[in-house]
Amino acid sequence: MVKIKKRKMGEAEIPTGSMADISFLLLLFFLVSTVIDVDTGIGLTLPEFVPESDQELVPISKDRMAALLINENGDVLLNKEIIAIPQIKDNLKERIKSKIELPSNKKLIVSVKTDRKTNYNLYIQALDQVKGAYFEVREEYAMSQFSKEVRDLTEEEDKDMKDKIPMIISIAEPEKI
Amino acid sequence: MKFEKKRASTKQEIPTASLPDIVFMLLLFFMVSTTLREVDVLVQYTLPEADAIEKIENKRLISYIWVGKDEKIQLNDNLVTLEEIQPIMYEKRVDLPNVIVSLRVDKNSDMGVVTDIQQELRKADARRVNYSARLKQ
Repeated sequence: MVKIKKRKMGEAEIPTGSMADISFLLLLFFLVSTVIDVDTGIGLTLPEFVPESDQELVPISKDRMAALLINENGDVLLNKEIIAIPQIKDNLKERIKSKIELPSNKKLIVSVKTDRKTNYNLYIQALDQVKGAYFEVREEYAMSQFSKEVRDLTEEEDKDMKDKIPMIISIAEPEKI
Repeated sequence: MKFEKKRASTKQEIPTASLPDIVFMLLLFFMVSTTLREVDVLVQYTLPEADAIEKIENKRLISYIWVGKDEKIQLNDNLVTLEEIQPIMYEKRVDLPNVIVSLRVDKNSDMGVVTDIQQELRKADARRVNYSARLKQ
């Protein structure tokens, strides 16, 4: 019998020694080109656009409203009283707190109105105070109700808190000049 | 007398076979987290500072509007006029129903231009906005 010799296969191997080098190079490129900057800021939802002819005036009781007016000189009016910007937070906090247990159609509405010439920075500072007031009240509520911080709340607890303390910030309709 | 050096009999090598895997894992992380297309900002601005700020987790939802010191408005890659905002934003809004518009406005600008932009955004029904601000130190 004739033995058929199997042909020996040449060993097929891809040299992987330089693989690490190549991937390091790629890694370096992405490391350098990545910008992990998180956008931070004050979030808000604008009211729906309603043409002037369709606008209706809905009467809102006075104790629900917190009207914040900022004029071009930087004077701030909260419910027709002159107030300094850093005082807004404490002032609003009391009012938000007093409405925690009221039904949802009786919660506080903060309305912010500015002049065309008002400085943008002032507007942000005022809005920051309003947001800060809400955040602090929420924090206190979470602490007293669930003895947790807001960020540790479960979904249901979070929903309950947001129902009790909704953030209603309204940007007033600009006036036609 | 001959002195023989003491040598450890074990191998003195770090196994490098898994190195590429580790590096690839890192690479993958950076590739996924990178947003490559950075827009050239054509306006000069300084952001205002605030305390009660939130982070926006979902970067893909954001579209930016810049307002510079000279009241120039930039949307996406180029400078636009007020009237152009509405159609562009409306298209965006159709593609991405819950788009967040991040307003990067110079802190010394007037509210007039901001109000105008807001009116345009409301008409385009892109109503989620975010006033970009840095954390107060």
